[in-house]
Amino acid sequence: MVDSQEMVKKVFTQDSARVDTNKGDAYYNSLFEKAKSRLEALKKQPALKDIDMMEVVESEGVNRRDFMKWASATTATLMLPPMFTPLVAEATELMNRVPVIWIELQDCAGNSEALLRSSTPTVDDLLFDVLSLEFHHTLQSASGHQAEEQLEDAIHHFKGKYLLFVEGAIPTAINGGYGTIGASGETFQENLERLSKDAAAVVAVGSCATYGGVPAASPNPTGAVGVMDLVKGKPVINIPACPANPANMVGVVLHFVLTGQIPELDSLLRPKFAFGYRIHDNCERRAHFDAGEFVEEWGDEGAKNNFCLYKVGCKGPMTFNNCSIIRYNDGANWPIGVGRGCIGCSEPDFWDKYAYERPMADANIKAPTGGVEKTVDEFGLGLLTATTIGIGVHAVASAVAGKRTVHSEDGEE
Amino acid sequence: MKTVDLVERIEGEAKLACSWKNNIISDARIEFLNFRGFELILEGKSPLDALIYTPRICGICGQAHLHTTVNALENIYENIGEKLNITKKAKLLREIGLNIEIIDSHIKWFYMFIMPDITNLSNSDYSDYSALKGKKWIKASSVASETIKSLAIIGGQWPHTSYMLPGGVVSDPTLLDLTSMQNYLDQAIKFFEHDFVGVDFEKYLSFSGLKDVNKINGDLKDFVNLSFENDLEKIGMAYDKHIVLGESTLFKSGRINKRLSTKIDLNRISEDTNYTFNIEEKNDSKDAYGWAKNVKYSNEFYETGPLSRALVQSRKFIKEIHKEYSDSVFTRVISRMDELAHLLYMTKELIKQVDISEESFIKPKISLSDISEAKGVGVVEACRGSLFHEVSIKEGKIDSYNVITPTVWNLGPGDKSNYSIAQKAIIGNTSIEKAKIVLRSFDVCSVCTTH
Repeated sequence: MVDSQEMVKKVFTQDSARVDTNKGDAYYNSLFEKAKSRLEALKKQPALKDIDMMEVVESEGVNRRDFMKWASATTATLMLPPMFTPLVAEATELMNRVPVIWIELQDCAGNSEALLRSSTPTVDDLLFDVLSLEFHHTLQSASGHQAEEQLEDAIHHFKGKYLLFVEGAIPTAINGGYGTIGASGETFQENLERLSKDAAAVVAVGSCATYGGVPAASPNPTGAVGVMDLVKGKPVINIPACPANPANMVGVVLHFVLTGQIPELDSLLRPKFAFGYRIHDNCERRAHFDAGEFVEEWGDEGAKNNFCLYKVGCKGPMTFNNCSIIRYNDGANWPIGVGRGCIGCSEPDFWDKYAYERPMADANIKAPTGGVEKTVDEFGLGLLTATTIGIGVHAVASAVAGKRTVHSEDGEE
Repeated sequence: MKTVDLVERIEGEAKLACSWKNNIISDARIEFLNFRGFELILEGKSPLDALIYTPRICGICGQAHLHTTVNALENIYENIGEKLNITKKAKLLREIGLNIEIIDSHIKWFYMFIMPDITNLSNSDYSDYSALKGKKWIKASSVASETIKSLAIIGGQWPHTSYMLPGGVVSDPTLLDLTSMQNYLDQAIKFFEHDFVGVDFEKYLSFSGLKDVNKINGDLKDFVNLSFENDLEKIGMAYDKHIVLGESTLFKSGRINKRLSTKIDLNRISEDTNYTFNIEEKNDSKDAYGWAKNVKYSNEFYETGPLSRALVQSRKFIKEIHKEYSDSVFTRVISRMDELAHLLYMTKELIKQVDISEESFIKPKISLSDISEAKGVGVVEACRGSLFHEVSIKEGKIDSYNVITPTVWNLGPGDKSNYSIAQKAIIGNTSIEKAKIVLRSFDVCSVCTTH
């Protein structure tokens, strides 16, 4: 069995996920200069698609001011100071210099579906018109042998330059026989290894591609693993969650366009800008947690009053993700908004740890009397300890991180 | 001669292997080669966990899986004589959610999954339909995005919602929420009128005869023209036997084997795996060539999906088209798109019926984890046809879980005595392009088929 897979199952990432939201002026000034020269260089490169971003945006009835609003929200999502907004806007227009190849392995296409659902100002357009999506199994026009040829062309033409987005887990049992692709019957593993070889970076999208996801749930009948278990010697970025949030997919691409580097990652290779805090930290029901007001069971008075869902199994306090801020379906809603609670879908192995019948409902929670953060942190740590008995959490997290090629902001391209 | 072609631009991938005699397809195999093992994963889990797992079988019809799971779990209560009180509000919100998912899927299917192949048959310029950049493609994608927001309002997010539970739903929409949902649907209706059929909504709903096909305008008109130019009304016929398992405000259950019968006995459904790889014993039969199973009713293959639903409930417009063009590609595509109109209309009506003062959820008196032994089945009508789940629990845990999806009904591997529905529809075609259009007319879902 793959050791890193086993290790991530045991660890939460509280320590390594914590994001430093202010790295100081010197840092941001230097990043700003770097981004500026990067964008200048990109401008000199030929566009892969001859499409003017602003024309596209305006043709959809979105004016410059709305577009800048979007750019400023995206800058915030990337955890950059406001001075980066014009650069982010510019980077959006240069997205057609970075080719993206998207493949699907052992998946349900849920992440592709989520991607289709991103907009404002029609990021559909940003992505599909401007971003050079060179290959997408489900969405492209071509199919059959024609599609295979298109993929071959793309990987040769953009050798070393493309971002490889991977959706779905990789089955390793019976020599990969549970999942094959294409006319030659290449296994998913062979396919992933072949296509990642010449990628600039590999982005694992969704919980299946990151940690094996639902196919890897006990007893893992097909021996499913995530991308980071197989791809070595190449930057791997994990965007977990089921489905992954399209805002974070766009964020990763934009960051790459803007800086030429992948964003700062935590020990599970998740971008810190998206997974740097728990959903509990920014939850709309947080005040009820602090006040000790809980839904005791679904449908009760607490539920009708939108009280905290912790006692009916919400995993928000243990789950690192930004969905409490950006929500889903273009900000329309998120699970907690309908009173169901978080299932922790961006944490490793959440299937076996976290589903409904294992709520923390019996935990003896009392309304905090001291400082809110302190109480919640202590409470989170208590659980952390319970699930990782005998293991130095920090040590394990570091060990996992050490196995990867982690690019930080300070690293070179 | 034998050819193998790939079928992408579906959920997952399939292989279509055809044997040819005198330039006519004489035999066809549809191979589904990817497998995840949901049924095995569910064994030993707590019953409520299934509500988190099964929606993840499919990124397009997760809502349907959720609804079927909740139906199966509630059927367990029924079978042990424990009556659950599901309020009208909860039932409505479940049905509304499912309908919105089907609406979303039908819009995307037309523009993203079948039109690219159909427009390829023509030499005329249909670049507005081209994937990822054509005007019509982008518009359809953004309308679908907007429509699905109305489901996110009650489901929390889409795909992969989990708001239904035995006993009701957890969501409790406000009047404002319900109004927003109606507004999103209104946008879809507007799109239907202006772009899709180019006919006033009320007028479209009154279509009842074959001549009404001529009144179709807009993008659907492109499909109608392309169909008649390329004889799509003459290809894709299968057995013309239809089955509908689920019941809702819009759909009626029943089956057609020459005559319409409204009686469905779920015990007559049987699966066989002679042509299916075997995970448990690792001894595949020599005939096995994929992960899809065969499913039959009273030992016969039946088609399921929007065409079957329209015929079983005797929707006049489709019945008339069917009389003329039988179960052809043309009829199948028109049925799915006609269903879109009826779903839009019905779903808006259902939203009006929601009484927010009612309870959303009434807790069952017994927990499923306290039940020593019981079985339950659930059915619903999903985007692609009838979806069936069967669960048995022992000592409070799932003992076995069986899923039969619409694609299994339509695209099974067939057997020695009979071709499956899609095989039958493909054999006799004269080109691989048309064979693939026939295959797509069933709205193929590889990941659901093998789960």
